Amino acid sequence: MSPVRIVLIYQSLLGIYGDRGNAMVLAKRLEWRGIDHELIVVEPGEPVPPDAGVYLLGGGEDMAQISAVRALTSDTNLFRGMDAGAVLFAVCAGYQICGQTFTVGDHDEVIDGLGLLDVTTRRGPQRAVGEILTRWTRPDGSVSLITGFENHGGFTTLGADAAPLAQVEVGIGNSGDGTEGAVQGRAIGTYPHGPVLARNPDLADHVLSLALGRDLEPLDLPEVDRLRADRIAHVRAGRRRVGA
Amino acid sequence: MVPANSRSRRPDDDLGRVRLGLAIGAGRLAAKASRLAGRGSGASIRGQVMLRIDPQAFGKLLRHRRIAAVSGTNGKTTTTHLLTAAVRASLSDGNRVVTNADGANLYHGIASALGEHPDADIAILETDERVVRELIRQGRPELLVLLNFSRDQLDRHHEIKALGRSWRDALVEAGTEGPVVVANSCDPLVVWAARAAHRTVWVDTGDSWTQDAALCPECGSVLVHAPATPASRARWHCPACDLSQPTPDYVVHGDDVTDRSGTVHHLALQVPGRFNRANAACALAAAVEFGGGAADALRGMRDVKSPAGRYATAHFGSTSARLLLAKNPAGWAESLPLAASDPVVLAIDSAAADGRDVSWLWDVDYEQLAGRHVVCTGPRAQDLAVRLTYAGVEHSVEPDLSTALTDRSATLDCIATYTPFQRLRRLGGLA
Repeated sequence: MSPVRIVLIYQSLLGIYGDRGNAMVLAKRLEWRGIDHELIVVEPGEPVPPDAGVYLLGGGEDMAQISAVRALTSDTNLFRGMDAGAVLFAVCAGYQICGQTFTVGDHDEVIDGLGLLDVTTRRGPQRAVGEILTRWTRPDGSVSLITGFENHGGFTTLGADAAPLAQVEVGIGNSGDGTEGAVQGRAIGTYPHGPVLARNPDLADHVLSLALGRDLEPLDLPEVDRLRADRIAHVRAGRRRVGA
Repeated sequence: MVPANSRSRRPDDDLGRVRLGLAIGAGRLAAKASRLAGRGSGASIRGQVMLRIDPQAFGKLLRHRRIAAVSGTNGKTTTTHLLTAAVRASLSDGNRVVTNADGANLYHGIASALGEHPDADIAILETDERVVRELIRQGRPELLVLLNFSRDQLDRHHEIKALGRSWRDALVEAGTEGPVVVANSCDPLVVWAARAAHRTVWVDTGDSWTQDAALCPECGSVLVHAPATPASRARWHCPACDLSQPTPDYVVHGDDVTDRSGTVHHLALQVPGRFNRANAACALAAAVEFGGGAADALRGMRDVKSPAGRYATAHFGSTSARLLLAKNPAGWAESLPLAASDPVVLAIDSAAADGRDVSWLWDVDYEQLAGRHVVCTGPRAQDLAVRLTYAGVEHSVEPDLSTALTDRSATLDCIATYTPFQRLRRLGGLA
């Protein structure tokens, strides 16, 4: 079997919130399991490999979103890769550009997205900033908590072809409507940083399982369990204080 | 201070002076109360009380002084100390210079420092990025040093370009009345802002952090970063517009700085690291622009040892720990290579002053610590532990700062984010 290619797209544009960590986490989790893989970082101007197992997009500023859409649209290999069955995992600004449209700047200029997710993003009534906790229903029906840090001004609405990734327990998520993220085929969009796959190993392994076409046994990482317990307790305690 | 001309005095000037006097007096009382209560120097509360009583105090205290301001994401405090030492060395009376040496760089911190030294006719002011615009408007500084821009506390400052734009707008607005700008030519956003000044002195600092400079601030195109060629010394340029790395007036290479006349100045600083040599080159250029001699400036800068506690050695039981501050990925990129001890202690927090989102831990190359033991401490020690697990770096977790450092080994280096850095200074007997 050829190595699983993990492609981190345009780190210099969409990489200001540590989201490269998602790529590092995926690669390391494959390495620890002895699964052959390659981590490839592509910058604007370089061709995106059309044969990735997983494509990753991260957070960034408005101008960077426009540049990324322009570059990916002219490159076209991301679309080719998705048609060939790759998994896309996009965070925050990266999530927004995968949608139908999003807005940038003080005058809310509407920009066409990549159309890989049936979602639209518009400026929200206030910026969503803070720890977020959501409930994600895994393919086997069990619920896994997702912890992270959201920081976005855009609010995202899902169209008919996209389903929410998770339900919000604490935080804003897509638009304060109780949903967080979007899933459509093998494309996943979500708001939390953290990086989200470092804090949520179940979700990381879900992405890898989709790419590999098989289930993976969990890894025993007590450091990550302790971090999750810390963050989940912290965000729930914060909610109680706000309610009091 | 220059005495006010009595003929031009108007009644509201007198009232304004009385009000400022009251504000300074009340601020002093508040600072004293704060010190007696054991709550630190009282600088911050002094400034807050002053500005409450006289909202115009900031502008009034700036007037009638020669001002040099220092701003940027990283290196403000150290550069302010270096520039202050450089300027003082050229004067027979160092007391003519007032500075906010403690790093309190917002309105109340600046007002507090100025209020304590009404007679100092020269002010060298560390200025928060968000205050630069008002300082230019109200203080009409002669000189402005712009060091760098990088991601920092993104939960509060969502877009670093907005800060660059505010600097640029203020410089355009001030026109020929505005400051001469000493600017780091390696930082595209700094260059874009600084070239709006009526005169700019460019310092090629050799900075290599380009991760926050992907796009042209002028036109949005992807900037090209490439090594200098015989045809062009510019190491970055925009392929679509005229923004490119300017021809430098000063160039840093190793421990030397070459000026535009070709004279080589040897730095020989006490503060460590490539980054501080870059800061010192900017301070040297600024001191010369301000009217001092390079020899005096260098002599003064060589006395700077631990600006506001940075690089100072604190004591925890039998352990002596050198404290380094790193606030963001660009800062960590400079500090990590300086921390050579084994074990090395890294202290992480996510209070407001540290940035509440610690995702930035994944933008720092902790992989370089492989082979050494890291003690993770501070309220977010566990986030660092996970980062180090994935980096393959051996570590232990001790969230309590005192326990993490006390009786660990004879000497070690400790890098901390802002809040634990200040706590460690107090715990280690430095503040």
